[in-house]
Amino acid sequence: MAVKFFGQFLVERGIVTSEALLGAINLQDNNNLKFGEMAVAMKLVTPADIQRAHNAQMSKDMKLGDLLVEMGFLTLDQMNDIVTRQKNTHLYIGEALVQVGALTQDELQKQLDAFKADQAEYVSDGIELPISSANEKIWEMTVDLTYKMITRVLDLQFRPGKCAVATTIPHHFMLAAMDMAGDVEARYIIAVSEELQKSIARAILSEESVEDEPAEVLEDTVMEFINVVCGNVAAKASQMGVIIDINPPITVHPPAQGLPIPAGYSALSFPIHIKDGDTMELILLVKD
Amino acid sequence: MKKVLVVDDSLSVARQLEKIISESSDFTCVGHAKNGAEAIKMNHTENPDIICMDMNMPGMDGLTALRTLSVMDKEVKVVMVTSLGGVGDKFTEALRLGAKNVISKPFDAETVLRILREL
Repeated sequence: MAVKFFGQFLVERGIVTSEALLGAINLQDNNNLKFGEMAVAMKLVTPADIQRAHNAQMSKDMKLGDLLVEMGFLTLDQMNDIVTRQKNTHLYIGEALVQVGALTQDELQKQLDAFKADQAEYVSDGIELPISSANEKIWEMTVDLTYKMITRVLDLQFRPGKCAVATTIPHHFMLAAMDMAGDVEARYIIAVSEELQKSIARAILSEESVEDEPAEVLEDTVMEFINVVCGNVAAKASQMGVIIDINPPITVHPPAQGLPIPAGYSALSFPIHIKDGDTMELILLVKD
Repeated sequence: MKKVLVVDDSLSVARQLEKIISESSDFTCVGHAKNGAEAIKMNHTENPDIICMDMNMPGMDGLTALRTLSVMDKEVKVVMVTSLGGVGDKFTEALRLGAKNVISKPFDAETVLRILREL
């Protein structure tokens, strides 16, 4: 019921042991050469060239391959040859598990099919943003996963509204926020009404009534919901090659006039119309 | 009956886990720690067989606590419970530090109990 990678799926289901998976990961680590290692193995550059490029990376935000081309250590064709060799010799985790004897080929295919079916619900249907952003695909995936989790975790029926650029963060009963760092810089916010907070609490706590729950617990359930969404966003982003670190969630109670958008950020607002007439709002504060 | 310590800064997750554990005849919940430092203290006072621990917590996080626990107590079995389980590096790091398994959030009772019974 979450975004996973194949090894985790197998361990969680008890198909392979964590020891076997670690053995397969170690095999992958030994087999799958990084770009610099492959370039040296193909005798296209020396370890000293790689070291010089690594040093240059401290002051230049460029991938190693691009930098080696820029510094004249590689031609563009050589860089492409290295990438192709990396792809052709890459040992996938499933194959590595077969090689360490944890799975047979037949079992691997069967489990890959089961994994594909398990993860199919997290394949993005596509969302369009009103602004262009360097990490557009990540934000589209974030919104898409939010919608999916509203259905699957909260069991709420809804209709997504049109995304707009917001000029303030409007007043709501409660906002739960989570900061994202790493390859992106953003704040993920879910805004809810008092009634929606209770709906979320009922779903998260698996209780029919939450009328007697303290405010602290009700707020915590909304924070836990965004924790689950953002954790799954980080997992999906890592599959897309983007590192997202998330901080523990916090609550925000904006004043009646709302909150200003911090300088240097764009605010994308996604209204989420719940079936009973209530509205939730997803706000992404994205660094420009 | 095996003793389980729950470690999560989220009250709602701790409640869910405590409920799942206490409704099973195989396990009993011996307490709830809100961060890694509390978990290390409660491991000493409550002597659990199993620790179900979140990764992302304010103060001492789950991986730091796991690192300490795996040195201090070779007997206790730690299972990470996290929304970050699908991040490959985090999952591998947890296993390398000695976690027996990783349960992804959102979880269901059946998965949690199956994983705890397999330990």
